[in-house]
Amino acid sequence: MAEPTVSLRNPRKAAFLAWLVPGLGHIYQGRVGKGILYAVCILSLYTIGFVIGEGKIVYWRWTNPMNNPDKFPIYYLGQFFVGLPALPALIQGTLRYFFGIENFLGGFMAEPPIRELNGLQPRLGKLVEIASMYTAVAGLLNILAIYDAYEGPAYSFEEDHEAAKSDAKSVAEGSTVGNAINGLNAEAQT
Amino acid sequence: MSPSFGMIHIYWFVLPLVLAISLVYSASRHEAWSRIWIHAFRLCTWILGLLVLTTVVLLLINTQV
Repeated sequence: MAEPTVSLRNPRKAAFLAWLVPGLGHIYQGRVGKGILYAVCILSLYTIGFVIGEGKIVYWRWTNPMNNPDKFPIYYLGQFFVGLPALPALIQGTLRYFFGIENFLGGFMAEPPIRELNGLQPRLGKLVEIASMYTAVAGLLNILAIYDAYEGPAYSFEEDHEAAKSDAKSVAEGSTVGNAINGLNAEAQT
Repeated sequence: MSPSFGMIHIYWFVLPLVLAISLVYSASRHEAWSRIWIHAFRLCTWILGLLVLTTVVLLLINTQV
């Protein structure tokens, strides 16, 4: 990886902020445009998924995946990386399991009752899977954004501009060669 | 909520997903905007092309069996 020429300020703090709210770490580093791009892409995916799933597909339950794989909310492993928007689910799951608190914040993003979860599939069909996938992929994409905030981009400004120049040069050369070939063909025809 | 989403054909849900993946991946690789857009466009085309190709092949096989 190339040495980043962009200022990463405090990379750990930026990575934490990027996890907390997608794009916030980049805005903190002064890479505002990129921060907005990440925020729009990741939060849009998450929100669409959340709305399609009627807010019932993002939840966390403390359970041993080895003993109880069917009950393990595997999608939350991806959703967690969206940060703050998915954090209430972890708080609700923790409060319920360790402290027996059931109705914190009116049960917002708490694990829905089993009859509600069972009722989603017949009513929404494939949309449940799509909603779960959207929210989980949003989190996984934010891992890329977090890594970018921590390490910087794979290619620096200079390398990008060099590549752009070389692309432009090859296009120009291509057109010169093309002209030369056309000229030779015209000569051959005469 | 879902009556409106339920009216959309399931295949169309691939588009926002592929678009977001392409843009985020490209943005994580480059810092110059021109390179981000070009890379995102190429990646998006590649993914959609492969998905369409795979769907066509599977469709052809499925109509023969």
